[in-house]
Amino acid sequence: MTEEKESRHRHESEAEEVKEILSVVSKELPALVKGILGSVFSEEAGRDLGKAAAAFYKELKSAGLPDEVAVKMTEDYMSTFTSMGDVLKGMGKGGKLGITAKDKDELGKEITLDIQRKIKEKLAEKHRASEDDEEEDDDEDED
Amino acid sequence: MKIQTVVIGGAHLTKLALSLIAAWLTLDWKVRRMRRAFEKQLIRVGMSKKDAQRLSAQFAKLKDNVKNAVKGSMFRIR
Repeated sequence: MTEEKESRHRHESEAEEVKEILSVVSKELPALVKGILGSVFSEEAGRDLGKAAAAFYKELKSAGLPDEVAVKMTEDYMSTFTSMGDVLKGMGKGGKLGITAKDKDELGKEITLDIQRKIKEKLAEKHRASEDDEEEDDDEDED
Repeated sequence: MKIQTVVIGGAHLTKLALSLIAAWLTLDWKVRRMRRAFEKQLIRVGMSKKDAQRLSAQFAKLKDNVKNAVKGSMFRIR
């Protein structure tokens, strides 16, 4: 009877824990996602980036660069954001830094072969060392 | 107790899903506003509207990459 009670109590506390976890996740996760998206994609971020790019463009123009070159250089300056996007794109394609499952398999095979080679080398070394020791012992016995 | 947990848990999950869907749907709108603010600053210093739009197009590209990354990670989890 007491076991039944304990089991019931345990189940209830587990259910309570799940409820707590879900309530925290449902509260915190959207806030986190909104915060991340808001820091990258917001009117304020756009304005700040625009100010930075505008200052860069203005400097180039005042230095006497032709309009086309100044625009091209500002575009390159802004392309750092696209490169950040490319990293994300790579992550989306195949995990961290864009390593695909195929790459992982190949890498795994290479590592396995490398380990096998190292083990063979070590064993051969050990075998050679033991043979040398035996030879030395034989020489000593002959003396 | 179990039924109550399932109901409350379901409500939390629904809330979470709705919040994420809302964030997903408002992303386009946020990017549009961001592009407009960005273009405004560039036009103010004398850049042509066409060039400013070309530069701000990178944000749309970034948004697409973010969306693809999220989609990719979702399919990986499955």
